[in-house]
Amino acid sequence: MKQLFDSGLELAVESDFIYFPLLFDPDIEKEIQAVFHSGENIGQFNEPESKTVIKIEDNYFVKGFRLDALVKNFEAIDPHSYQTMKNECFRRYQLMREVDGMILDGNLRTILFQVMPHFIKKNKGLNRKKLSDEEMLDLIGQKINIPDSYYQEAKTFTDIEPLKEILKNIGNQPPCPELPGNGLTSGRNLQDWFRNAVHTKVLADEVDRITTSLQVRQQFSRIKPERIATLLYIADSGALELDGFGFIRKNAGRKEYHVYKHSGDYVLKDYYGRNYLFPDCRVAVSTYMPSKPFVMEKYKHPFLLEYKSGQEICLKHFNPPDELTAQRIIDALEEGLTALRYGYDHRRRNGYHSLDKLWVHIPTIDFDDYRI
Amino acid sequence: MDLLKHIKNNRAKQKQKKPIKRDVFNQISSIVRQYGLKENFLDIFDTVENHFTVKRLGVFRIRVKKPGITSIFSLVEKEEYDLTRSIIHKADNPYLVFAHSPEEILWCKSLYRLNPALSAEKLRRYHFETLFLHECAKRNRMKTNPSNAET
Repeated sequence: MKQLFDSGLELAVESDFIYFPLLFDPDIEKEIQAVFHSGENIGQFNEPESKTVIKIEDNYFVKGFRLDALVKNFEAIDPHSYQTMKNECFRRYQLMREVDGMILDGNLRTILFQVMPHFIKKNKGLNRKKLSDEEMLDLIGQKINIPDSYYQEAKTFTDIEPLKEILKNIGNQPPCPELPGNGLTSGRNLQDWFRNAVHTKVLADEVDRITTSLQVRQQFSRIKPERIATLLYIADSGALELDGFGFIRKNAGRKEYHVYKHSGDYVLKDYYGRNYLFPDCRVAVSTYMPSKPFVMEKYKHPFLLEYKSGQEICLKHFNPPDELTAQRIIDALEEGLTALRYGYDHRRRNGYHSLDKLWVHIPTIDFDDYRI
Repeated sequence: MDLLKHIKNNRAKQKQKKPIKRDVFNQISSIVRQYGLKENFLDIFDTVENHFTVKRLGVFRIRVKKPGITSIFSLVEKEEYDLTRSIIHKADNPYLVFAHSPEEILWCKSLYRLNPALSAEKLRRYHFETLFLHECAKRNRMKTNPSNAET
């Protein structure tokens, strides 16, 4: 489309259709002469709905496509250009970043305000209560260096007037700019019309999103800007690690996460009472499928089948949850960590592998390098 | 040959692949587009013919024919179409289809007047200016010594 509009061609508009200059060869010329000079065929060209070729100022133009259909289907016709124009429109209305969507991300809120307080306690000693949402955000704000730009953004975020203004403007705007009138027109004029039409469509499509954004921002208007900055930073980066607990976004589009907890170093005994020091690893649970807890790093353990990353931990009585809740994430993580640290029985040599060598001809994992 | 065989032969001939023949419109319109020729080319066409003489050209030179890039089915804008038709109308000779450049379009009329019986192979391979000079040289040789003239 860009090439067409930038070509400098003189185009024509007739009955909402765009007409292109007709290209010639001898056969086409004969056909055109026949059509325009014989009374029999003129009829079909005079009917407004079926004008295939029109003549304006001695120039012939051939029918192209409906202009409003182009606007309507532009997203499918040229996704890249549509995205560019959409971004341009968002920049114009300061809607560039989808922070509202991120903040509305249910999984993130569950992890942040329900799972995380279980693993991170502020007060040590006997007085160990769970942290509230605000305390959790304050704690994260203290422990993590949040860039200044997020504090600026938090101020903008709580200012809901621009969004109200946009919604008001969208309400006042026609659904599609008026189509160019019949007659000759330049590619530049059509390009301006087309850009406005696409922007109007983008805003109309985004009305729901802007309305939701407004509601979210109204909810957050009473919260301190520092806490909003922390939340914006986490929503934007999609990952956080604090005191051995963390999460990482694995699929930005679907807003799915791996929630993990570090096991720390621990010691296991073999059949003969010899100690083996196991290094730290991250035991994780994913939010997008009800799976067993797994180790994120390349790791070996009697409860892991191989020596590689992403292996599920062997748990005998563990049923993967059908529905994901904060409690189930907590349970799965604790089950996984407990299994690694305390699940191996040196007398029974349970699991896939034994810590001490059994001298049987079965390929197994060797743990001698962990022996202390 | 019986009727059945005749029909079979005819059908076999119809099924054979036939090469696309050079079309003078496609050839000239491609040159017009490629070189961006405008209406003033027709003025040059009218005036330049008188200048094509051996004396004016001076020494005999061999020009290399440029490889032609021709569309098989050429579609052009109205102005280009009108110009193409005018060139074809003005030149009006069978050599035009072998022209690969505007210069050769200018040469083709003089060449055709000098020798209308040149083979397609020669026209395809050699620049029209070279052919023109060659024909002139041949004619001069015939005038001076008719018995040694080349065929």
